[in-house]
Amino acid sequence: MSIDITGVTKTYGDFVALDDVSLTIPTGQLTALLGPSGGGKSTLLRVIAGLETADTGEVTIEGVNATKLPPQKRNVGFVFQHYAVFKHMTVAKNVAFGMEIRKRPKDEIAARVDELLKLVHLSQFSHRLPSQLSGGQRQRMALARALAVEPTVLLLDEPFGALDAKVRKELRDWLRRLHDEVHVTTVFVTHDQEEAMEVADEIVVINEGRVEQVGSPDELYDEPANDFVMGFLGETTSLGGVLLRPHDVHLSLTPQEAGAAEGSISRVLRVGFEVRITVLTDDGDEVNVLLTRTHARQLGLEPGVRVWVSAASGATTVPKMAAAAG
Amino acid sequence: MVKVSAPVRWTLRLLAIGYVFFLVAWPVGMLFRRTFEGGLDNLRDAFNDEDVVSALLLTAQVAGIAVIINLVFGLTISILLVRYEFPGKRLLSAMIDVPLSVSPVVVGLALVLVYNGRDGWFGTTLEDNGFQVIFATPGLVMATCFVALPLVIREVVPTLTEVGDEQEQAARSLGANAPQTFWRITLPSIKWALVYGVVLSLARSVGEFGAVKVVSDNVSGRSQTATLMVEEKYQNFAQGSAYAIAFLLVMVCIACLVVVAVLRPQDEN
Repeated sequence: MSIDITGVTKTYGDFVALDDVSLTIPTGQLTALLGPSGGGKSTLLRVIAGLETADTGEVTIEGVNATKLPPQKRNVGFVFQHYAVFKHMTVAKNVAFGMEIRKRPKDEIAARVDELLKLVHLSQFSHRLPSQLSGGQRQRMALARALAVEPTVLLLDEPFGALDAKVRKELRDWLRRLHDEVHVTTVFVTHDQEEAMEVADEIVVINEGRVEQVGSPDELYDEPANDFVMGFLGETTSLGGVLLRPHDVHLSLTPQEAGAAEGSISRVLRVGFEVRITVLTDDGDEVNVLLTRTHARQLGLEPGVRVWVSAASGATTVPKMAAAAG
Repeated sequence: MVKVSAPVRWTLRLLAIGYVFFLVAWPVGMLFRRTFEGGLDNLRDAFNDEDVVSALLLTAQVAGIAVIINLVFGLTISILLVRYEFPGKRLLSAMIDVPLSVSPVVVGLALVLVYNGRDGWFGTTLEDNGFQVIFATPGLVMATCFVALPLVIREVVPTLTEVGDEQEQAARSLGANAPQTFWRITLPSIKWALVYGVVLSLARSVGEFGAVKVVSDNVSGRSQTATLMVEEKYQNFAQGSAYAIAFLLVMVCIACLVVVAVLRPQDEN
C-alpha cells in the first residue's frame, strides 16, 4: 500500500482541521480528496507532503515511516493551487530545479527536462519566464517540475482551482490521460464533485476533519454512506423521510404506485432540455423533480396540476437525518 | 482618474516644482557652484589635505561596515518577522522603527551612556579588556548602524510578504534544504528590495552627523568622519574645503541611485 495514514489529528488553536483520520491510499491510482472548503482535505495533503506536521498520528509512504521526515526527504511531488512557480527562472530551469538539487549530471538533466516539457506540451516555451505563460501552462509546468524528481507520490492541491472553466476541463482530461501514461500514485484535492467523479479512480470524501466515505465514483454515487455524501455528490430532494435525487422521483397524473404522495405543482422551471418541477405534497414536503422537456410536455405539467410522486424503482435513497446537509 | 481643469493642473505643477526647486535643487546647485568657483582648486586642495582624505576613508570604512552589518541583521530580522510567529513580534517590529523617530543626537547620547569607558554599563568592562567603543571607530559604526537599522528591513519586509512562502514550500518539496532554498529561491526574489535597502542605508550612513557627533571625539585623522569635517572646516572659515567635501558626499548618493537605475531594467528584460 502506498500511503498509510493512521490516527492523524491536527488542530489550529480551537479549530480541529483533522480529527483522528486513518486512511490507506493505494499504489498507482488517482485518488481524489473531496469535500467542502475548510473540511480538512488540503491539510491532510500537506501533512502527507510534510508541509504541515500532524499533532498526533503517523504517515507511512511506501513502507517508510515519514512522520518525522522533513518535506525534502519524503520524495513527493507537490503541485500548488497558485502554481508556486519560481518567477526568476525560465521554464526549463523550473523543471530542472529538483534534479539540480540532487546534483544529477548536466546532460541527464537536459534530456529529462526535454522529455518532460514534451509530455506537458511546453517544449517551445522552455526559454520563457513563467510570467509569459497562461495559468494553464504554468500549472502544466508546475506538474512537470514535480514529476522531474520521479516522486513516489504526486500530490496536487486544488490544481485547477485558479483556472477558468474551459481550461479547467481541458486540464482535467489531460491529467487523467497523463496518469494513464506515467502511473505514479497521485492524490489530488478538490471541492468539485464533478471533477472528482470524472478523473479519480477512488474518492475519499472528507468533511469537518473526518473521512465520511471511501470508494470508487460509482460506489459513492450509488451507495452513499450517509446524507452528507449523498448531498455533496449531487442535488437531492426529500420525499417521505428519505433523500433521493430529483431525477429519481417518479411523477404521474394518477395514483399508480402504493405509497405515492399526492400534491400539487407549485413551480415549473425550464432550463434547456431539463424541466425542474417543485411539488408541494399534502404531507408538507417540498419535492424537486427533474424531467426531460419531452416528458414534461407529454404530461402537460403546469403550476396547480395535481400529481402523485414516489421514489422510482432502483432509486438511490438514504434516510434523512435531523440536520440534513446538502 | 478625476479630471481637473487646466489652471488647477498648472498651479499644482508649479507648486510642486517650486517647492522642490527652492528646497532641494537651488541649495544643492549653489553648493556645486561654490565648489567649482575656482575651477578644480577646491577639490584639489581637499584631496591634498591628509586629514580630509583620512576623514573620507573613515566615512567609507564606517559606512561600509555599518551597511554590511545592517544587511545581515536586516535580512535575518525581516525573515523572522515575515515567516515566523513568536511572542513579542509586534514589539520587535515597533522597536525597529524607533531609529526613524528618535533624533540621532539622542541615539549618540544613549550609546555613550552604555558604552563609555568611565561609568558605562558595558563600557568599563570592554575598556579594561582593551576595547574602546566610544570616541573610537566601533562607536561610530554602532551609531551609524542604529540610525540606518530600519532601512533594509522596511524595504525587504513588504516584498517578502508579497512573494509569500509558496515558492519556498515548492523548493522544499523538490528536495532543497533550508540553505539551498534561501540561496536559490528566497534571495533572488527579494534581490531588488535588498539592493534598494542597501543603497538607502549607504546614503544614510555616509551622511550621518548627529549620532556620530556625540560618540566621536572629533580628532582629525583618527575619529573625524567626513560630515564632522564639513562642519569643522565651515566653522574655521575653510569654506572651499567644506564645499568640496559636501560635494563629494552628494556625489556618492547620486552615484548609488544611478547605479540602481542602470542595473535594474537590464535585469528585468
